[in-house]
Amino acid sequence: MQNKDKDQKSRLKLFKTILFKDIKSEIRQINDLFSIFLFDILSVFIFSSVYNFSAEGQTMPLEIFVIEVWLIIFFTLIYLMSKLFVKEKESGTLGGLISAPISGNIIIFSKIFYCFILLSFVELILFLFSVFLSAPSIENLSFTQLLVFIVIGVLLPTLDLSICGSLVSAFSMYVKNKSFVLPILLFPLILPITTPIISLNIKILEGILIVDLFYEIIFLVAHIILMISILTLLSQTLLYD
Amino acid sequence: MIESKKELINCVNVSKQYGYFFALKNISFKTKENTIIGLAGANGAGKTTLIKILCGLITPTLGKIMIKGMDYENHSNILKKKIGISTDESFLYEELTIFENLKFYDNLHQNFDKNSIKRKIDQFAKKFNLTDWINEPVENLSHGMKQKVELIRVFMHQPSILFLDEPFSGLDFNTTKLLIDSLNELRDKENISIILTTHKTEILAQICDEIIVLKRGKINKSLTKEEYKEIQIESYF
Repeated sequence: MQNKDKDQKSRLKLFKTILFKDIKSEIRQINDLFSIFLFDILSVFIFSSVYNFSAEGQTMPLEIFVIEVWLIIFFTLIYLMSKLFVKEKESGTLGGLISAPISGNIIIFSKIFYCFILLSFVELILFLFSVFLSAPSIENLSFTQLLVFIVIGVLLPTLDLSICGSLVSAFSMYVKNKSFVLPILLFPLILPITTPIISLNIKILEGILIVDLFYEIIFLVAHIILMISILTLLSQTLLYD
Repeated sequence: MIESKKELINCVNVSKQYGYFFALKNISFKTKENTIIGLAGANGAGKTTLIKILCGLITPTLGKIMIKGMDYENHSNILKKKIGISTDESFLYEELTIFENLKFYDNLHQNFDKNSIKRKIDQFAKKFNLTDWINEPVENLSHGMKQKVELIRVFMHQPSILFLDEPFSGLDFNTTKLLIDSLNELRDKENISIILTTHKTEILAQICDEIIVLKRGKINKSLTKEEYKEIQIESYF
């Protein structure tokens, strides 16, 4: 029992070691992150300007606002994917990770969590700017509704996208034409969850009760379980050529 | 009484195929513990592929590798704790400092004691003349200095088998001498086994107990230290 506890603690420490290394590396290369923010803010600006021009100043409907934000998030994910396994492979440091006495699953889970943190951070900036620039017609949300929106409407889909992103990044790291392969592999994986994510967001922002979001939540959770299972089962094969 | 050395590596019919190209074909050899084995050969002979297979970084298409009676399929973590690897690719993170890189890799070998890590890094930095550079990002270092950091990374977790791919490339005369002395010391005093590749044939004679010459993915010749001194090794490349 004690050995099991010790083993769990050691796994957690290794997970934290890889995660903190990635975050530290990212902070040292802050320009990369800035360029992602710039892409997001410019996209929101262009979207909002075009809408305002064509709709002659009408308030942006909720549906268009949600689609705008998630479309930008999907494209941002393509940038972020190249920061996971692809970056480790290209810089040669993947060898250092796989030659260490740690399980492949620890490496994979630390990358998923790293992608989740980056994507959440990008989403925070994106939502703030898009609410300000697009000015959608959102009813006043209570604190509970806001919390439900953040946890179920944003963080749950972000976790799913992070898992899909890590899977695609791991799949394509040994491929030669990565910039072509990354989006080609990603879109079929995230296509089934696009509609539930958008529907979930619209319903929560319209103030619909959580009980009525059952099918979307179940679908997202099932997708997360499926993707995690694929990653865990293939971890050894994916990390070694 | 002479103590016979135990078997270290048993490589049986190992082949590695990339598409239609065979990087290695039916490689079989055995080595003993506590020896320095040199892999020699011309460019493209398969030295790096063989060393990467031996240290578990890539899997062979065919054949089996046993290290101390264990294979990577069933005893991956036990073997990885015992081995230290330096390949043609640098495992260092360019944007992190020397200290952060070395601490990271020692953490991966499950040493989380900050004091012991700092003490070890200080000792190695002093030995390899890197004390003044310890908080410098790796991207600011010269090729030779990066090579020194790579070697410290390999030595840090005190492995019992070292796999070194071209460890002498980019090193100045003094560091080359220091590395040769260190490798000899590791074998003689700490019973560490070393498998290395190098283009510098004069170094092979100085440190290797056995030399395996590869040619187009096959073993062309196996030589002992004594045999090696009497021949022109380039004729087997």
